[in-house]
Amino acid sequence: MGRGQRFGIALSAFVAFAVGVTTALSLLLGDNPALFGNQPGAEQLAELIAAPADALLRLATIVVALSIVIGIANLLYVHAGKLARGKFYSAVLLASFGFTVFWQVTRPGDTSLLEAAQLPIESALAALVALSLLHGGSRVLGKRADIWGLLFVAVVVVVLLASAPLAELAPLQAWRDWLMRVPVGAGARAILLGVALGAVVAGTRALLGQDRSVRG
Amino acid sequence: MSEEFNWLEYSEEMEAAALEEEGRSGRRGLRRLLPRLPSLRRPALPRMPGIPRPRLPKLRLPSLRRRGGARESHQPSAADILGEQLNRPLEDLDDRLRALRERSVEASQPAPSHQALYAVDDLLAGPALQDRPGGVISAVSLSKAQQQQVEMLRDVVGGAPEAANAGGRSPRFFSGFALSAAPRLLGSAVLLLAVSLPFVSSDYAEGDLPPAEFHEDRHEPTTFYNLLDNLTGDDYVLVAFEYGPAAAGELDILADLLLRHILAQRAKPIIVSSNPIAIVHAQNVIRAINRSLDLAGEQLLHGEDYFLLRYLPGGALGLRELSENFDDVARISAKGLPTGLQFDTLDEMTEIVLIAASADDIRHWVEQVASAAEGRRLLVATSYAAQPLAQAYADSLDQVIGPIVGIRDAYTYGQKLETNFGALLPAEASPQEPEFEQLDADASSDSQAEGRRGPELPAEDAIATALPQPTETAPPTATYFATDRPQPTDTPAPRATDSPTATATATEAPVRVVVVTSGQRVNIRRGPTTVDDILGLGYEGDMFEVIGANGDGSWYEILLPGGVEGWIAEFLVDERLVSAAELAGAQASASAADTQRGERAVLQREYMLRLGKPAPRFYQAQAPASGDRLEVALNRDRAQEIPRLEAMTLGTLAAALAIIFGNVIYAARALLSLRGTRGD
Amino acid sequence: MDQTTQQVLAVLFVFATVVLVYTARYFQRRGRQRALRRIAGVERVGEWTKQSIEANRPLHLALGGAAVGEDNTAVALAGAEFFHHLVERANASDVSPIVTMSAASSIPLGQDTVRRAWRSGDYLARAQWYPPDIAYAAAVTGALQGEDPAAHILAGSFGPELALMIDTAGRRGQGSLAVSDRLEGQAVAYAMADEYLIGEEIFAAAGYATDDGRAQADAIVLDVWRALLIMGVTIVLMLEVAKRMPWLNWALVLSVSALLVVFGLLIYRRHLPEGDG
Repeated sequence: MGRGQRFGIALSAFVAFAVGVTTALSLLLGDNPALFGNQPGAEQLAELIAAPADALLRLATIVVALSIVIGIANLLYVHAGKLARGKFYSAVLLASFGFTVFWQVTRPGDTSLLEAAQLPIESALAALVALSLLHGGSRVLGKRADIWGLLFVAVVVVVLLASAPLAELAPLQAWRDWLMRVPVGAGARAILLGVALGAVVAGTRALLGQDRSVRG
Repeated sequence: MSEEFNWLEYSEEMEAAALEEEGRSGRRGLRRLLPRLPSLRRPALPRMPGIPRPRLPKLRLPSLRRRGGARESHQPSAADILGEQLNRPLEDLDDRLRALRERSVEASQPAPSHQALYAVDDLLAGPALQDRPGGVISAVSLSKAQQQQVEMLRDVVGGAPEAANAGGRSPRFFSGFALSAAPRLLGSAVLLLAVSLPFVSSDYAEGDLPPAEFHEDRHEPTTFYNLLDNLTGDDYVLVAFEYGPAAAGELDILADLLLRHILAQRAKPIIVSSNPIAIVHAQNVIRAINRSLDLAGEQLLHGEDYFLLRYLPGGALGLRELSENFDDVARISAKGLPTGLQFDTLDEMTEIVLIAASADDIRHWVEQVASAAEGRRLLVATSYAAQPLAQAYADSLDQVIGPIVGIRDAYTYGQKLETNFGALLPAEASPQEPEFEQLDADASSDSQAEGRRGPELPAEDAIATALPQPTETAPPTATYFATDRPQPTDTPAPRATDSPTATATATEAPVRVVVVTSGQRVNIRRGPTTVDDILGLGYEGDMFEVIGANGDGSWYEILLPGGVEGWIAEFLVDERLVSAAELAGAQASASAADTQRGERAVLQREYMLRLGKPAPRFYQAQAPASGDRLEVALNRDRAQEIPRLEAMTLGTLAAALAIIFGNVIYAARALLSLRGTRGD
Repeated sequence: MDQTTQQVLAVLFVFATVVLVYTARYFQRRGRQRALRRIAGVERVGEWTKQSIEANRPLHLALGGAAVGEDNTAVALAGAEFFHHLVERANASDVSPIVTMSAASSIPLGQDTVRRAWRSGDYLARAQWYPPDIAYAAAVTGALQGEDPAAHILAGSFGPELALMIDTAGRRGQGSLAVSDRLEGQAVAYAMADEYLIGEEIFAAAGYATDDGRAQADAIVLDVWRALLIMGVTIVLMLEVAKRMPWLNWALVLSVSALLVVFGLLIYRRHLPEGDG
């Protein structure tokens, strides 16, 4: 590894560390004068501490918004390459991209393309997703023939049947309500808690400049 | 990883020796440890033209590997072949594999040390080469990662292509396609049939339609409705449109209704989203409302009646930006033009309405927006998928109201809206009820001309016939009191036909009254909770006769002018004793004040007296005859609503049956194979 | 809980995590390696990687909507780390993996992953962005048809549209491992994918794909936090139960709690790799 490369890695790690720690502390400690004993000047101090996080987050929002340009550039690049290899669908993609841009430039604010193309296509895809889900749901026990798979199927069936407004199925509705409120709610929260825990650990790694995206 | 393997010294002789050694020791190579490749995922290898495929030596398969496999096929399995094909002569390999093999030799050369390669023991160790007997001693030192790359390549080169093709895709395609596609096609066909039948004929209608009122146990949807019904022309409502075209089928009706309700109250929705497509979709929903208004000759205008703000990039970060810098966000419209809106904080919104398809959007709004705007309620309308999380939030946070879920709640909401607004239709719009016009005209002219004088009250049967019946499923209004929530009091409810003057002149004894002390307008409700319907309004100084109280004294039951009873919260009023004359005087001056306030309260009371039910706020604002905004609330296209509900019911049943059926078959297969394995 | 308490607890939590991470790394480096519990899902991935090489078919690695700079940044970084360790093993292959994402800000992560695996080729074209949500699922299933991937490793942020991708993969005989930080996607992953990870396992996955002590230490820290959380929830639950039922004996409550903890430890041990723990 050359000296320049090492320096680059060290620099990026330092920047990541500095920005990460500043934002984290600013977010964690800012905007609460009570933390500083409500003394005179505590409010200004709290605001001062909150300011870097505000600024950096706004910056992040702008960067994220602008990244769509990279996305489009990537899409065009990838599909131009595919077109060169004779892929027909890439030609369709590029042509429809060009057409949409042309349409929007000549008719600013017109959403008829969205209504005529995107809405029906996305709705059709949503219907396809429903079919895929149905197919997947009907073979859960084919994938996982164990007690958890069975439980999963049982809950799915109870919830589905109870959501049908039939008098004969009314007793199931109490079950459904309980299932949704207690076990499903608990499970969902547990998963979210797990994700949050993981995010803290991964965030810590990024915060300390240890992440691969920084280490190079 | 103790021993290291020397590729440079490796030769076919050594390989043969190794094989022989294995044979002697009764071992068939470590490849038998390799997990069986499942037949479904055998990858196809592109056939190279012109290169003869290597011939397999016919070897007896060891009995170990036959376990459980006898029933499957008489073809050797991938793992078997992999085991047999441990060491093929180099010339038998096709070009690509030969290239790979060469590369594995290259990989054994020491690489520059800066390559950040990490070893991968657990994952790909598989049959570790260094464990192979055969006396190959390391001479070149490889890094751990390089060794593993070498192992992997060797592994691949040693065994694979026949394994890949033994149960490859093309034969399975021809022989198994029909079989594997059949359940999928059948399931899809049943589902499609179930959801399309209701659109073809109403004979297949299954299941009950949703009720015209939200179920008594679900207070929050009613509160949701009432909160929107409380909006006035001065109010701004932040409407978060967090769903795209994919969820349009489920949420469009709901979004349309909520926007119509807000617009009908003359409040101004400010539409915002963290999804750019959703903003455009919202624009389409508004357009659809405008199209329905064409008949009425009125159009909703962006910048006057509603606002579409720029999209909020960055997901949760964008929402954070919204809650912290609402003044900035509200300034720019979706088209990048100034909106003219000037707000400092989100607290200036009267309500925040969230229409979201996914649980994450709800989570983001609760975490980023609701927690920052603590003074504002978050009214949640959502899809079935996100209901559990929305319900959890609504149950645990007072700030979150709802959820109203999917098409069924939308139907109920629409019924409620139409019942309330439909009752206001002027007679020419509903010619089948001519008496209503008469009543209406009389009542409003009376009240406007004579101020405090109680209106001439119609008999109950007259009310019953006079009332418009907006839909078949709406409860008949004559029995409204009877079917509505039970009165939580022992006091018999005075009838709407009681003379208003009777209460004033019945006695000269002091009357127990409450006087409104709150500086703001207060709600008078049908029952002693904030969830109950609002019957009317009180302003500071208004005086009402007390006829009871609830158990803990936190609500007074009061008699409104006109003889209808209502409830008012204790903390909003002071209790006093006054003479009947004093009460009458106070009520007369209150009425005069009402008139000055633009007849709002007067009309409210008139309506309440005649219909015995809460008046939509619109009615309080102006006379129904000039009710341009009625169109907004009522001109909905409802042609598809009922078939959609029926399709949903049938589709749900079909899906449940398909899932049960499919899983029973798979469970049976699993049980059979378990028995089969034990039998072996 | 007032704001000050929350803030103090949050700072303490982050600080404790940092301390734990460094402690775990120290022990990992010292060779006192603690074996990770078994996660069936990641074990299968190795098999697919081999198939990918032997059959000249790429791996499809998908980050979905996980975006750098948004609230699921951590998911994007964890997914990319996992992919990194996977492709490091597959980089002997002739064919580069394909990384797809629907968050444009994650494109650099994807390109970096491919670049490491496939230094000589056009790595820019192997990290592909498509518009989010259902369009992404549809585009990916369509665009990858010609590539015929050996398997799909879908680790990131997905909604119900995941069903479309997994279903298509299954129909084409391609393996799939899925995990999502979104609940809808997680449910689909469990029901339909060949292999799945749940919740925080996506953050631990990198530790399973490598010998790198740092990644393994992170996975262990995650396990420690999780165990503490479960114990905390159990204790609070038992206290609540005890409060509601005053006739309950304290000794009984404590012994049931202890039993639960022991039971949990036993289950945990069962999940350790053979010959370990």
